[in-house]
Amino acid sequence: MKRHGILSFLAMTLLSASAFAAPLKIMTTTEDLAAIAREVAGDHAEIQSIARGYQDPHFVDAKPSYLLKLKRADLLIVVGLELEVGWLPSLLTNARNPKILPGSPGFLQASEGCKVLQRRDGAIDRSMGDIHSEGNPHYWLDPENGRVIARHVAAKLAALDPANATDYQTRLAAFEEKLTAREKEWTTIAEGFKGVKVITYHNSFPNFARAFNINVVNTVEPKPGIPPSPGHVRALLAQIRAEKIPLILVEPYFDDKLSAKIARDAGATLLTFPPSVGGSPAVKTYFDLFDVDLNMIADALAKRGGK
Amino acid sequence: MRHRLTFLFVSFLASTCLFAQEPAVPGAWPQAAASGALQASNVLNPNVSAIGWFQAEAGHRKPGPGDAADDGDSFQMKEVELGFQSIVDSWARADFFVSVSREEVDLEEGTLTWFRLPFDLALKVGKFKANFGRFNRIHTPETPFADRPLVQQNYLGDEGLNGSGVSLSWHVPNPWLFVNLDAEAISAPREDENPTFGRAGQKDIVYVGRLGGFTDLSEAWNVTFGASAALGHAGEEVDEISGSTTTLRSRLYGADLTFRWKNIRRAIYRSFAWSTEALWSRRDATVADVEDSHGFFSTMDYQFAQRWHTGVRYDYSQFPNDGRRHEEGHLVYLTYAPSEFSQLSLQGRQVRRADGELEDLMFLKSTFNVGPHGAHPF
Repeated sequence: MKRHGILSFLAMTLLSASAFAAPLKIMTTTEDLAAIAREVAGDHAEIQSIARGYQDPHFVDAKPSYLLKLKRADLLIVVGLELEVGWLPSLLTNARNPKILPGSPGFLQASEGCKVLQRRDGAIDRSMGDIHSEGNPHYWLDPENGRVIARHVAAKLAALDPANATDYQTRLAAFEEKLTAREKEWTTIAEGFKGVKVITYHNSFPNFARAFNINVVNTVEPKPGIPPSPGHVRALLAQIRAEKIPLILVEPYFDDKLSAKIARDAGATLLTFPPSVGGSPAVKTYFDLFDVDLNMIADALAKRGGK
Repeated sequence: MRHRLTFLFVSFLASTCLFAQEPAVPGAWPQAAASGALQASNVLNPNVSAIGWFQAEAGHRKPGPGDAADDGDSFQMKEVELGFQSIVDSWARADFFVSVSREEVDLEEGTLTWFRLPFDLALKVGKFKANFGRFNRIHTPETPFADRPLVQQNYLGDEGLNGSGVSLSWHVPNPWLFVNLDAEAISAPREDENPTFGRAGQKDIVYVGRLGGFTDLSEAWNVTFGASAALGHAGEEVDEISGSTTTLRSRLYGADLTFRWKNIRRAIYRSFAWSTEALWSRRDATVADVEDSHGFFSTMDYQFAQRWHTGVRYDYSQFPNDGRRHEEGHLVYLTYAPSEFSQLSLQGRQVRRADGELEDLMFLKSTFNVGPHGAHPF
């Protein structure tokens, strides 16, 4: 009897240990990927992002404190398309974690299968600014790409953690269902300003513009990563006046003084416009990102219309 | 004789052409091999980069002991640093840096690093800059300065402490902060290459170690700190009477501390860094006499706009073989960087030499980078 008691105690312990297995540790390079991964992984993973949503993901210091997190990770999800080229390679080389190196099971480049815009097939050089030859890396701003990313994450999680594969599929289905429903709402909001002309600070929004019929006619940066010259500012002022462009969208990590002056002088409205989850306190999930951004445009245009 | 040479040369060319057209695999199509259709694409080529370093200089040099190599011309194309970096295979990467200057072509670094080892280890072999302090590992064109700090120049030499050898790096596991321990062994430099270390024999080795740490103090502030040691021979002393030789030893200890600030919401516009490195030397001057000396430098860099930096540096340095005298210097700079790949820096430096003479110099340093030069240690 005593022996049976010990055996059942051991069996219970083992069962409970497997039921409460340590959650997967997932690192992502951006908060957007972390937000999508949270939708799919639920409580089965601890997920952290290296870059904050209010931080320019092109310019992140490769701090050794990130190595501590990367070395314990089971899965690393990256944007790719050279967005992280200035800082991720040295972190990966020094993280001493073979599981998450490119080509390993614990590495996922989220861009696979996504609609990527502005690929450069011809010769490029740095006179064109910070060009990404493989395409514009801000592709998560199209919700359909978010769907593709979520599917990738679910497949990867199922491979790494087969015990919970069914749960990941269930959560993916719920995410997709919610996304489909919200896309209808977002499309309705965007119908209200179909074809609106905007100027953005950096070339961050081609996917967003394509998804919601917004017309990005120029950028405050004359070329990616190059600050505006006086000549370019004069050209922008003339263009905004001539084409009656109502909005200038500035990512939260860029200094908006000059953009505000251009908006003031030319009669446009400046919006600090989050391109990422965490880019403003209101954007906590992937769904919030489109809710906040689209309503921000709609509200700003409504206010201008009411003047 | 000339005909024979010509014939040999033509035969060699002809045989090379024939060999080139020979299919590598019997039965393979020679056209395909010649057209390159079966070659691997360029994506497997290493990342190739070049950093040019041009400098203009005004003022009269009054060289100190560590300055012998500087030529002091008005215009100097100091060097071009060529970098070749790539993953070698599933386990290792290779990094080569070759500097081409007016005087020489020199392999600055050439290393093979195994970065997939267990137990948080990495192993590096080849020629490299020793992990003594932080500054020693940075190639001069990539520093903010037109020169190297006096203490670096006087104790570690023009090119810093470097050599061929082995380096083992270990991330010390702990839950609180990033700690790294490096243990290195490099072939001892010749006495004309390094002011601190020399050789008593061809197989002499300098042992270098550094325990370094890093932690975030807040989202914006962080601190890097380290303690280093380098142990080796200083040369040898010959007893003129008995003819016997005694090895002289040299011990170098260092400490470094760097605070950095950057508001990540405005990361490209403002930043600040304050870095200090000190070292202490115990060097056998003779069998009976040990020379103690020390030196340090402290520098601050403030980025006040997207493309602008300004900074100051204070230098104090004694000499490895003379702890009674010292020189000190001040350097200020203003740097404009049109992009991340080029910069122009106006710098002024005053040095009070050990004999009391003042040296005032102005520099205009320009560096320009093509290709994807790999990131340097944070």
